[in-house]
Amino acid sequence: MPGPANDRGPGERQMTERERSAFAGRISDLGDRLDKIKAQRRAEEGADHDAALRGRGMAYGMRMAAELVAAVLVGGGIGYALDRWLGSTPWLFLLFFVLGFVAGVINVVKAYERLQMDIAARTGGRLGHPAPDEED
Amino acid sequence: MPDPIHQFELHPIVPIKVFGWDVSFTNSSLFMLASVLLITAFFMLSMRARALVPGRLQSLAEITHEFVAGMVRECTGSAGMAFFPLVFTIFMFIFTCNMLGMIPGFFTVTSHIIVTAALAALVFLMVIIVGFAKNGIGFLKLFIPQGVPIPILPLVVLIEIISFLSRPVSHSVRLFANMLAGHITLKVFGGFVVMLIGAGTFAVLSPLPLAMAIALTALEVLVAFLQAYVFTMLTCMYLNDALHPGH
Repeated sequence: MPGPANDRGPGERQMTERERSAFAGRISDLGDRLDKIKAQRRAEEGADHDAALRGRGMAYGMRMAAELVAAVLVGGGIGYALDRWLGSTPWLFLLFFVLGFVAGVINVVKAYERLQMDIAARTGGRLGHPAPDEED
Repeated sequence: MPDPIHQFELHPIVPIKVFGWDVSFTNSSLFMLASVLLITAFFMLSMRARALVPGRLQSLAEITHEFVAGMVRECTGSAGMAFFPLVFTIFMFIFTCNMLGMIPGFFTVTSHIIVTAALAALVFLMVIIVGFAKNGIGFLKLFIPQGVPIPILPLVVLIEIISFLSRPVSHSVRLFANMLAGHITLKVFGGFVVMLIGAGTFAVLSPLPLAMAIALTALEVLVAFLQAYVFTMLTCMYLNDALHPGH
């Protein structure tokens, strides 16, 4: 088995004091360099993750807004059309506008439930899972 | 300042009139055709080798397939896989149109609500037809949530129907609004750079909106993908309602 450790022959495997301190120095130097690289990589991953989260968050935000507004528009539109048809202006419009708002809120709640389920599936149920009690 | 809306104007390339209807081949048609050709060419080229161990292009095609197939399977179960070709087509079309729109000077097809509304209407009508075909009258269970007391049931059903009818609206508006807003913002920041450069000493400030425009471009690429993903995801969820109502 060739190698610098074997050059000293049997019985002389102990490092001298100088070698030992140089070796320890090299080890800690290597550790420092590894730590630095790891920290850098973690920061980069964090930044990527942040950007992705922000994009996802914006997409979800737009989605909630669209769900709410669309239902109000559809409700109001139905009410307006019925009013034109039955000549009952403005009562059906008012009624369906409110119903549309309720439908919009229900849409948002449903979409949010779905989002929570997604997050729970991605994080292994740590978030958004209806926990039996609040302590854990 | 350059008009930020100008990029969305339609120009007829080949004017066609059928019974007084204007069905000209416009720049929008051109980019729709371009994205369809691009998608077809991509899959023809990438799958030509049909290797057991895929090459680079083939891996890309397979990843795309797996991505959408996974989405369909997760949302609708194996019954929904019958609709995979449609969902995959919708995803690839929107994604390619969005991405083509990110190239400067190119037209963004999905920034017109008529295009997204047509896609949403296609999904909406398909959900209704499939729902009634698969479940018959049982499809109406979708409008009757479980565990609601009889006295307020008519009100709840009315609300559920409005909620159902609002789906194509939100489905189409979301994609269109995202693309429109993103492209206008980019154009406005680009316009700021040009204005500042022409404004004497204020030209030193011009790198600021330029940096902003670059950051926004990155965000817009992400949005282009995310909106295609969200549109496809919702298509799957609506399909799931058609296949399994009353959940």
